[in-house]
Amino acid sequence: MKKKLMFLLVLVSLLFVVACNSTSSGSDSEKDNTDSGQETGSSSENNSGESKGDSGADKTLTLWHIETGPSEEAINQAVERFEEKNPGVTVEVSQIENDPYKSKLSVAMGGGNPPDVFHSWGGGWLKQFVDAGQVREIGNDIDTSIYNEAALSVATFDDKVYGAPVSMDVVPVFYNKDIFAKYDLEEPETYDELLTIVETLESNRIIPFTLANQSKWTGSFYMMYLAERFGGPELFNEAFGRTGRGFDDEAYVKAAEKIQELVKMNAFPDGVNGMNYDTGQSRQLLYAEKAGMQVMGGWLLNNVRDEMPEFEDKLGFFLFPAVDGGEGKKNHVVGGVSPVFSVTKSSENPDLAAELVKELASVETAEYMSNKAGSISAVNGVEYEDPYIQKMSDVLANSEAMQTYYDQTLPPELAQVHLDTTQALFGLSMTPEEAVKKVEEKAKELLDK
Amino acid sequence: MIKRISQMPLYLLSILLLLFTGLPFFIMVNTSFKQQFEFMSSPWSLPENFSFANYALVFESSFLKYFTNSLILAVVSVVLTIVLAAMASYPLSRMKFKLNRPIFLLFTVGMMIPIHTTLIPIYILTSKIGLYDSLAGLIGPYVAFALPVSVIIFTQFMKDIPKELEESAKIDGCGHFRLFWRIIFPLLTPAVATVAIYNFIQIWNEFIFALVLTNSSETATLPLGLREFYGEFSVNVPGIMAALTLGSLPLLLVYFVAQEKIVKGLAAGSVKG
Amino acid sequence: MLEKVEKLSAQQVTTSTLIKKAKKRKEILTIVGFIAPALIVYGVYVVYSIFMTFYYSMFDWSGIDKNLVFLGLDNYIKLFQDDIFWKSLGNNSLLVITSLLTQIPLGLIMALLLFSPIRGMRFFRSIYFMPFLMSTVAIGILFIFIYDGNFGLLNGLLGAIGLESLQQAWIGNEQTAIWAVIATVCWQFAPFYMILFRAAIVGIPEELYEAADIDGAKKWQRFKNITLPLLMPIIITSSILSIIGSLKYFDLIYVMTGGGPNNSTELMATYMYRQTFTNFNMGYGSTISFSMFMIALGVTVVILLGDKRRRGEE
Repeated sequence: MKKKLMFLLVLVSLLFVVACNSTSSGSDSEKDNTDSGQETGSSSENNSGESKGDSGADKTLTLWHIETGPSEEAINQAVERFEEKNPGVTVEVSQIENDPYKSKLSVAMGGGNPPDVFHSWGGGWLKQFVDAGQVREIGNDIDTSIYNEAALSVATFDDKVYGAPVSMDVVPVFYNKDIFAKYDLEEPETYDELLTIVETLESNRIIPFTLANQSKWTGSFYMMYLAERFGGPELFNEAFGRTGRGFDDEAYVKAAEKIQELVKMNAFPDGVNGMNYDTGQSRQLLYAEKAGMQVMGGWLLNNVRDEMPEFEDKLGFFLFPAVDGGEGKKNHVVGGVSPVFSVTKSSENPDLAAELVKELASVETAEYMSNKAGSISAVNGVEYEDPYIQKMSDVLANSEAMQTYYDQTLPPELAQVHLDTTQALFGLSMTPEEAVKKVEEKAKELLDK
Repeated sequence: MIKRISQMPLYLLSILLLLFTGLPFFIMVNTSFKQQFEFMSSPWSLPENFSFANYALVFESSFLKYFTNSLILAVVSVVLTIVLAAMASYPLSRMKFKLNRPIFLLFTVGMMIPIHTTLIPIYILTSKIGLYDSLAGLIGPYVAFALPVSVIIFTQFMKDIPKELEESAKIDGCGHFRLFWRIIFPLLTPAVATVAIYNFIQIWNEFIFALVLTNSSETATLPLGLREFYGEFSVNVPGIMAALTLGSLPLLLVYFVAQEKIVKGLAAGSVKG
Repeated sequence: MLEKVEKLSAQQVTTSTLIKKAKKRKEILTIVGFIAPALIVYGVYVVYSIFMTFYYSMFDWSGIDKNLVFLGLDNYIKLFQDDIFWKSLGNNSLLVITSLLTQIPLGLIMALLLFSPIRGMRFFRSIYFMPFLMSTVAIGILFIFIYDGNFGLLNGLLGAIGLESLQQAWIGNEQTAIWAVIATVCWQFAPFYMILFRAAIVGIPEELYEAADIDGAKKWQRFKNITLPLLMPIIITSSILSIIGSLKYFDLIYVMTGGGPNNSTELMATYMYRQTFTNFNMGYGSTISFSMFMIALGVTVVILLGDKRRRGEE
């Protein structure tokens, strides 16, 4: 009789084995071809409970995005316009928080039931899904000529366009005008002048740069700027494309040394690696006038408007200065694109989904986002109402080169090493040589194939 | 008087522990009455003027919908967990059979597996049985992953119930099923209360399954609803604290009820003894 | 016994064995009836996912396509050579030990206090439970600010009692970060053990104490001779819960430090999460998961065997 129990157990466990085999059948036959792999993906989708308009006029598209506040409003308006133009089609919109979004999308892609249209930042993260055969090429469905070239390039791989950009940001050095006036400081033209400012502020017990580097991407700005200023705009492209200098190039070592020099000059707050950007720990120091500057993306202004509106009057910005003898220039900026919208390959209504992307990445959406949410438009022909955004946009227009954020451009695993080593540099727990070597080793492993 | 003095260290310890355990909750509530700029400039002070703006913000969102969803989920899952776990624990703790230990061990292993790598299999499973994006689809995983801890606690407590009770009941011709529900289960009140509190809190705050297995705002739970207070690079801390303060009220209620039950169980037990 | 009966009468034998068999069958039916419902739900979700985790752990798989490449046990070999994994295992061990040494005693002390003749116990009881009741998101955000190096409450308190020399950025400093988060985790979970112990103490028959009172036992002796031995089984159970909980701990670390700075607070679970969802290594992430599972299983079996021996000796 006990055998029966045992039998039951074995039976139950067998059932699971069978179940798991059937779900991963595509893998067992070792289909390398991503296209055929995709078919198994969409077939399991048919079994799922979600109703994605099978036939007839009533069709449903799903859209996942992470925009909040006015940007979310811009998305919703675009969706309304789309629904008006396409009667009988409804769009199910899901807004998801930034970090959890990444896990949710991964699981949905892996589980074979992704949304029709999804958000990304372009770059290495999007490329993971492109390489996985999950993203549809939309170069022929959208009018690529209306987009800013640099912005479109983050969603272009092997000359094929996989997404449409909406907005962009650039990263200047923000500073407190009152503090600069008080100590008779001026916007610096050279890196040495910047160092003098750091010394002046430090000696007056003001933290020169506020930084919340638990978030890691915040400290990465310094690495990107300094490396560009030493090695010039082609440095990263060569290292990433494996066509010349590597991630262990002299310029990277120098940049890392400069970071540690700043750390030793007390240019950053205590415990910088434990502070979180999202919760506002670095901005607290700025608002309390305990810190003078912050290297941050243009969205800092949105944070200020939400959290401490009267501070906006004191907020000025300048571009990260050039280094003597370096190849980079002051008007070479670091920046990035967000959001980029793409269509998944398993979408049952790819044409409609592409239409939706067009509407999401239209002049109307970009204009609304720029004027209400303070980002630069990635779509040409937008008129800015906000003088601040106009100024930012001019910076971008006048720049000779734009470096997209490493952590969004590189493949995620390499990006992680870049972020980790940079954080370790700030914590003085890694030497410049060790740090650049680690990045280069990972780059060799992942890129030299 | 002397007794009072001898109790001084006891009071001191109690009050120290009170500060230690209670302070963060107090800070949470305190923060929820502040404006964002106030929190940014002086995070620890009392609010200058008690503002209910954050609470208004919470109620402007679909908070009540999320709240109801969480409540339904938690109540159904906890009740199911208690019934299933208590029943399974009965033979495991009070009957001798060969597979007793292996089955007990099988039940315990469930709490050793980290949740995150189980997401894809459970996502596929949930989609296949057509429960994706429904509250019902969450109950399964919630109950299943709550079973291990619950079974461990129940077997532990059931072992302490005297065997004689059962034997006298058997003489009266009482079957196992009735015996369990009529005699054993009522004696388990403290354990049931503990298991209920534990699981209720875990399920109430659960995030990752809800994130992956549901999609529409119709099925969103409270932890998912917090997204309304997150920007892409910022968190509205006072807003979150207001939502979480409101969200902790049912937990407090469950805790009070469960604790009173334990006290009553104590009284009932001593009468019997 | 039975054999003797057997010799007596063949007729009787068959009936008695039949009755026995019937009884036995009934008992097994009872056992199945009680266990099966839970086992089915548990099997469908939990046992299935454990199988799948093991299955995935043998592949090179990004988790987002259908392209699984079989590796056998290669991922496990890679894991053995992975410094960050060992570092995180070390951190998990720290968490296990600290949790055992603080959560359980603290939980016990709080539970005992609840039975002491203090006024307003109902109030104390509610407040003591607060940490466990608060959402991890709230705890994470608040403690980030409490530990902050510039505005932090902890530094403020230290300053107020003249310990400025100890002031620092608690989670920004690689040496103190792990302790800061461990302290928070212990703080959060101690109340759970409090209610567990409280429920167990309630179950101790009052007569035992009355007998001890007649013998004139002091309070400490009462505790040592009656309460503690009777609580031993629940202490063992709590220890198992605490150890397993600490081995797969994730939430607060993820919210507070994300494993940083420089991996100093990395736990196995946060590392697994990073590999799975940030680096797109579902296969390797599953390897970490399944290894965590095996470690927890091993530790639990050792404790259960040890406990069996202990009870055997008694």
